[in-house]
Amino acid sequence: MPRPGFVLDVDRSTPPTLFWHGEGFRLERLPTGSRVIYPPEAHEPLDDPDEAIRQALLNPHGTDPLPALLKPGMKLTIAFDDVSLPLPPMRRPDIRQRVIEAVLDMAAAAGVDDVQLIAALALHRRMTEAELRHALGDRIYDAFEPHGLLTQHDAEDPSKMLHLGTTDQGEDVEINKRAAESDLLVYVNINLVAMDGGHKSVATGLASYKSLRHHHNVRTMQHSRSFMDQHRSELHSSNWRMGKHIAAQGVKIFQIETTLNTNTFPEQFAFLQKREWEWKLQDRARYLAVSKSLDRTPPKLARSIFQSIKAPHQMTSVQAGEVEAVHAVTTDNVYKQQLVEVQGQTDILTMGLPYICPYNVNSIMNPILVMCLGLGYFFNLYRGQPLVREGGVLIMSHPTPWEFNPVHHPSYIDFFEQVLAETTDPLEIEAKFEESFATDPWYIHLYRTGHAYHGVHPFYMWYWCAHALEHLGGVIVVGGDVRAVRRLGLKPASTLRDALEMAQDVVGRDPSITHLHTPPLLIADVK
Amino acid sequence: MRLPIPVRPRFPLGPATWPGGVERPPAKKRTGVDYDTSWARRYPVRMARALLLDGVTKPVVQALASPTIDGLDRIQDLPAPVIFAANHASHLDTPLLLTSLPPRFRHRAVVVAAADYFFDKRWKAAFNAFSIGAVPMERTKVNRRSAIEAGKLIEDGWSLVIFPEGGRSPLGWAQEFKGGAAYLAIRTGVPVVPVHIEGTRRVLKKGAKRLTPSHTNLTFGRALRPLEGEDSRQMAVRIEQAVAELADEQAHDWWTARRRAASGATASITGPDAGAWRRSWALGEHKRGPKRDRWPA
Amino acid sequence: MKALVFERSLPRFAAARVAGGLLPGAGTRVGPLRLADLDPPELPGPEWQRVRPRLAGICGSDLATVDGKSSRYFEPIVSFPFVPGHEVVGELDDGSRVVIQPTLTCAARGIDPMCDWCDSGETNRCERTAFGHLDAGLQTGYCSDTGGGWSLALAAHESQLHRVPDDMSDEAAVMVEPTACAVHAALSSGDSEFAVIGAGTLGLCVVAALRTLGTPHVLIAAAKHPHQQRLARELGADMVVEPDALPRAVRRAVPHSLIAGDQLTCGVDTVIDCVGSDASIAQALQIVAPGGTIVLVGMPGRVGIDLTPLWHREVSLRGAYAYTADDFAKAFELVQDAKLERLVSATYPLDRWREAIDHAAHAGARGAIKITFDLRKERGR
Repeated sequence: MPRPGFVLDVDRSTPPTLFWHGEGFRLERLPTGSRVIYPPEAHEPLDDPDEAIRQALLNPHGTDPLPALLKPGMKLTIAFDDVSLPLPPMRRPDIRQRVIEAVLDMAAAAGVDDVQLIAALALHRRMTEAELRHALGDRIYDAFEPHGLLTQHDAEDPSKMLHLGTTDQGEDVEINKRAAESDLLVYVNINLVAMDGGHKSVATGLASYKSLRHHHNVRTMQHSRSFMDQHRSELHSSNWRMGKHIAAQGVKIFQIETTLNTNTFPEQFAFLQKREWEWKLQDRARYLAVSKSLDRTPPKLARSIFQSIKAPHQMTSVQAGEVEAVHAVTTDNVYKQQLVEVQGQTDILTMGLPYICPYNVNSIMNPILVMCLGLGYFFNLYRGQPLVREGGVLIMSHPTPWEFNPVHHPSYIDFFEQVLAETTDPLEIEAKFEESFATDPWYIHLYRTGHAYHGVHPFYMWYWCAHALEHLGGVIVVGGDVRAVRRLGLKPASTLRDALEMAQDVVGRDPSITHLHTPPLLIADVK
Repeated sequence: MRLPIPVRPRFPLGPATWPGGVERPPAKKRTGVDYDTSWARRYPVRMARALLLDGVTKPVVQALASPTIDGLDRIQDLPAPVIFAANHASHLDTPLLLTSLPPRFRHRAVVVAAADYFFDKRWKAAFNAFSIGAVPMERTKVNRRSAIEAGKLIEDGWSLVIFPEGGRSPLGWAQEFKGGAAYLAIRTGVPVVPVHIEGTRRVLKKGAKRLTPSHTNLTFGRALRPLEGEDSRQMAVRIEQAVAELADEQAHDWWTARRRAASGATASITGPDAGAWRRSWALGEHKRGPKRDRWPA
Repeated sequence: MKALVFERSLPRFAAARVAGGLLPGAGTRVGPLRLADLDPPELPGPEWQRVRPRLAGICGSDLATVDGKSSRYFEPIVSFPFVPGHEVVGELDDGSRVVIQPTLTCAARGIDPMCDWCDSGETNRCERTAFGHLDAGLQTGYCSDTGGGWSLALAAHESQLHRVPDDMSDEAAVMVEPTACAVHAALSSGDSEFAVIGAGTLGLCVVAALRTLGTPHVLIAAAKHPHQQRLARELGADMVVEPDALPRAVRRAVPHSLIAGDQLTCGVDTVIDCVGSDASIAQALQIVAPGGTIVLVGMPGRVGIDLTPLWHREVSLRGAYAYTADDFAKAFELVQDAKLERLVSATYPLDRWREAIDHAAHAGARGAIKITFDLRKERGR
């Protein structure tokens, strides 16, 4: 029976706490009286995932079974989550492959000929062949790609987008034309965190800049508290309005959502999923071997080693059918795995940031992504109220190198060099720079033909941090590249001790300190 | 010069002659189905076989057949033991299939081999038992005893490699699958993994004297389990059908194969029901003409 | 009279070249420049006056000379031994302060009639810099007859003298000569989008000149060091970036520019290159618009670059040398308006000439812009 997550009170006998630090780790001694939030242990996976998928398709929530929806001569489109999920990428076979093969089996049985697959990547970078093969398996790739039936969503091709009108609040709804014009749109989700899935799948994953800007903006993000809790998230409210509008326009969606357990790291990194005092001799040996050898490894090599990690994630649930009914079950399942109850807020929140975030799979975690992972994602891993009090300080640990992947993140480089050199205020950035980046023909060219994130994407990263920036009294980065950290508008510190001293200038003496011991992921249910 | 006639030493120096009125009991056969292979599954022999498979057989197979292996993901989560059932066109099939198996199967697998061919002489029997872990079985109708033996092996955690055609196909098209694999699956409840092997005929045809290095394909299918109330005949048909679908998948693509399978249009692996020349013609091997020098380069 | 003098000595010249190639400024240790006691230069004629330098700047071309890197092109238009120093503010015998316009043109050389260029006022293009009654020498500071700024006295022709207003400091006045170069470059490039490569003295003066005298629509400066970046921003650059980031900045600033290979498809109309190296000219070619102009303000020397984009995109590559008397007049105003005296970072007495030149050779890395000799307190003046 996996143990639930829990909150440890640090006393003098507590061993040092593991902090992620990019492609490495730090062992830090937290002051007595601090709290450490540990994630729940990985739940038991489904025994027979393929059979579970079949059963989910045959017994959906709120609609007829999938075979009953499939008719000869119909137009079927299957959209699936892109390379940003799950994290780290999972071992083969990927859930998407399992689900889509099951769907296609039923489509074949029903005699459906017109089937297309679309990678729902919104404004993310296009996936490479290797990434598509990894997500879908060679069988699907070889069957569909050569015929042009496996495509990647292209939000900048007007001929492939369809404007479906506006919601009652005037939000443009523009999504992939093929998806909108299909008799049935099957969307295959991997719901790594509570934010994923629901109406957001189609309304965001298959949308254009014109549509996305209605919820990917500073105001929305400041009113999403947090976006891991769909009922208090303006991001989700907007997506839900759009989703309802899409449904009202007659687009029939069959949603398939899957949840994973938190079995995030392979055997040789098993210590990452254990509590420090439960490390066996083997775990300690592995920690020492890994961290010592990483110290001597050139950063590039370390990066490629970490990026090659394939997570042993296992599926804990799969549900299919009508979007909202499915998503309610999914969210419950995500919460079951990830929720940890925490009493009260804290003055200082510390966190170690890992080497990966949704936008640097097989790539470089640049400073903007570090910012977004810390202030965007980890800060928002709460339900109820933020872990850190208003005016509190966030301390995060990451090397934050001044490094970019020019193929994947060209607009990030310009954003960092030109926009952040001028201002770090999200509202000012949005007003002054967003449009010119979003419409820059070069970024559009690279997004459409290369493997580049859209020109506007770094702005979204910054907006993701807007809630945290508004809420916090200060942000300190431990062990980061000083110039890069300053450019981000944050404060650099060389050690955690220094950072805690600096934080006391903001929050006062004898602060309460809480450490978020993640990943594996958790959501703090702050009472 | 006259050769000396060998003189048999007389009893009691030599063996006594059998009295004419007494019936001779049948001699204890120690070849064929009766060959005892259990020595080949002892630990030291298994180690030696593992070394042979990984150190010698695998590189040789790689060099000769350069196989592309598909569908490993379909057997990734499958618990051992299982029964692998493949089509059979060449002696190369066995080493190719064995070396293509994931290690957890490879080093705990026995190959069910025709007793009359592989176990007819003691040295042959010993060689086959050692090198590929062969166990003898009748080609046509499995007798009770060998079924029990095989069942025991499965219970001990050994996976079986069976070629249900009962022998290599002589003309390129597969032969109808016999019920042995299905029978064992129903008896023991372990799943059958259909396997399709393509191209080994190009390397080593039945009756060929020379090895011709070429490219081969090996595709694992999704495991089949006996259905409620299914007999071994019906399941054998299903296994054959599954291998035919894999053949289709290999020749075209998965989605085409699935659609044909769903509409019952998968081509049989035993070839069209037609005259001999049309069967050969449909095989498509005539397309390969003599090698020409390529120019330029 | 104490003076730094540059003599013709092939072995020393070669040694300077080697040493300077290893470490900029190292030519002072082994090269042909030395501190000597000379007779003050005789006045070549009645229209000449003695000028006692107060401040004399160290210019990039001086450093190239010291390190043996300057082009052999100069050989026929300089005369040895010479006293370097052409950025000079000094005083006349009557005590009034002047800035010297160092170009030695027809007027100073007593050539009559003057060449067409001098006649029309474009004295920087004078054709007679190796002729006339003076020894060869394109400027004061390269001519054996006139002396130069790195000494206690030099001879200057009346046409070379510009009076310094009383309210102008010496530091401001010594900036007039380099600023005049910048003014000249800025006035001769008339378009609306500019990129300036290099943010030493010249680069910063060009930024100031473009901002003040022109109406730049876009003005992007590439500067390597933080203090250069700060100054470039203060002097009016719209965008200041590190040199590596310049193509990206230009691409962002010019709408609709794409990139093919390393080449921007569009770019800025005018690139002003104040570095003059292979790399800077190649970068200028990357970022200039088709039909645009690259102006070389920094002295280039021998470079190796691929001119294919120049040909294919019909780019003009143009030099900008020195200044006219008009440019000098405008430079006076600009120095005062833009407070360019802040670019003078340090002054040295002549005795510490090696330190001074070393400082100038590493000005960027050491947080400095313009290094000058201070001759006001020299004994024997």
